[in-house]
Amino acid sequence: MNKLKSAVFYGCLTKIRPLVIFYLVEYSISVLIMAIVVLCTGKLEAGSNGLEVASAVFLSVMGALSFREDFKAFLQNGFTRRYIFLSTFCSFLLVSASMALIDTLLGNLLHHSINYFTFFGMLYGYGNMLFNWLWLTLVYATFCSIFYLAALVVNKVGRITALLIGVGIAGVILLIAALFRFVLSSELVSRIGRFALNAFGFMNDGTVNFIFPVLTFIVIGAVFGLGSYALIRRTELK
Amino acid sequence: MEAIQIKGVTKRYKDVLALDNVSLTFEFGKIYGFLGRNGAGKSTLINIIANRVFADGGEVLIDGIPANENMAVHDKIFCMSEADLYDRDLKVIEHYKWTKRFYSDFDMNKALALSEKYDLDVNKRFRALSKGYQSIFKLIIALSLTVPYVIFDEPVLGLDANHRELFYSLLLKEFEEGERTFIIATHLIEELSNIIEEVVLIDKGKVVLQESVENLLEKGYSISGSAAEVENYCAGRNVIGIEELGGLKIAYIMGEKTALPKDSSLQISAMNLQKLFVKITEKGGEENE
Repeated sequence: MNKLKSAVFYGCLTKIRPLVIFYLVEYSISVLIMAIVVLCTGKLEAGSNGLEVASAVFLSVMGALSFREDFKAFLQNGFTRRYIFLSTFCSFLLVSASMALIDTLLGNLLHHSINYFTFFGMLYGYGNMLFNWLWLTLVYATFCSIFYLAALVVNKVGRITALLIGVGIAGVILLIAALFRFVLSSELVSRIGRFALNAFGFMNDGTVNFIFPVLTFIVIGAVFGLGSYALIRRTELK
Repeated sequence: MEAIQIKGVTKRYKDVLALDNVSLTFEFGKIYGFLGRNGAGKSTLINIIANRVFADGGEVLIDGIPANENMAVHDKIFCMSEADLYDRDLKVIEHYKWTKRFYSDFDMNKALALSEKYDLDVNKRFRALSKGYQSIFKLIIALSLTVPYVIFDEPVLGLDANHRELFYSLLLKEFEEGERTFIIATHLIEELSNIIEEVVLIDKGKVVLQESVENLLEKGYSISGSAAEVENYCAGRNVIGIEELGGLKIAYIMGEKTALPKDSSLQISAMNLQKLFVKITEKGGEENE
């Protein structure tokens, strides 16, 4: 257990430096844009909205790099793949929760002071800070797990095959879009749409359910997590 | 049993059979030289022992415990790799601290003292170290860990003669202070010959020899003289290599030395470990051609 704790700490603490740099750069750019807006219009307004998207991009990169860098370091230090997987996903959750907390607190503070709009706020409103943080944590962790799995796939099959898989996935998305447009009945499309909206918490009666999106992201994260575990168990040092 | 036991390990990479049903034992309390030519299968076997790659068949036991994906062997073995597996952005001192967290048997004071001896700046990031100092850093971590089995894969890569000598003397000091097993995979055979007790020689994915250095040096010798005399002498003996220089013929032989015939112009000489290694692996190469 102690070894797992140490591995989780390693996964988190080695990310602090890039995380600090990320926030410094992100907020410096936002402040700069805000300063330009103030100078040009004389109005004090947020430089940009939905900064969570930038955090999600950062975490996606971190997810991919976690495989490339940490996997090797953990193997060097005698960890099994099961421990590597567990520690990686625990550190994803911890880093995601920390970033979600920063983004939730700052986002809500900025919303009430300079009319900044958070991504969660634009979708679900500003009434529930706890769900805002939980939702964002799960969104971030999902991005980490998607890109961690992607890095594992690239490592397993090689770049060219991975590119072909990427092309295949894009093709399937286009086919599904065509299926929705030309093949499926409007009744079925409407039902699927309603199901998707419900899954993300937008109920038929116009109310918002906070539990459903949380469950949805837990399921998505678990699917990608299990996929990652299945792959990492067979991953060798290259 | 206190040992690393390798039982029937096979590993294939696409068309290449890297390890072919390899079985051998590294006993506790010995210093091994793990030798082999480039591509012989040394690193593959080391990576399998260290759970970095998987064997297609067979198993590795460390003190009787299966080594594959088993945290129970974590504190029994450490492998210093030729490949750079460490986070290149962390400082040397940070790596020491993390190693201390991962291994209860890591001696931080020893690591710092060795860093001073080697003149390694612990505040430098791994990426800023020269190739030689990266090797020194990895050596220091391995030498500061008191686990029962330590494997060094090309430990002196990029090190100058002084630093290599320092490593050999530190290794011997470590061995004297606390009994454990050191397995050293290297190409610098002669430098090691005074340190290692036993040699494991691997060639084309197979173990071709496992013997004590003492026995090997006693058994291996060369005989030189006229072609006819050498050929006569060699009849029925295990000749591992032959060289011809004009009318002079040199045969490299493994086996018991017998007295030279009376009035013979033959000359008998001892063979060093490197020559022995070259001749055995050459022979293996010829046989397989």
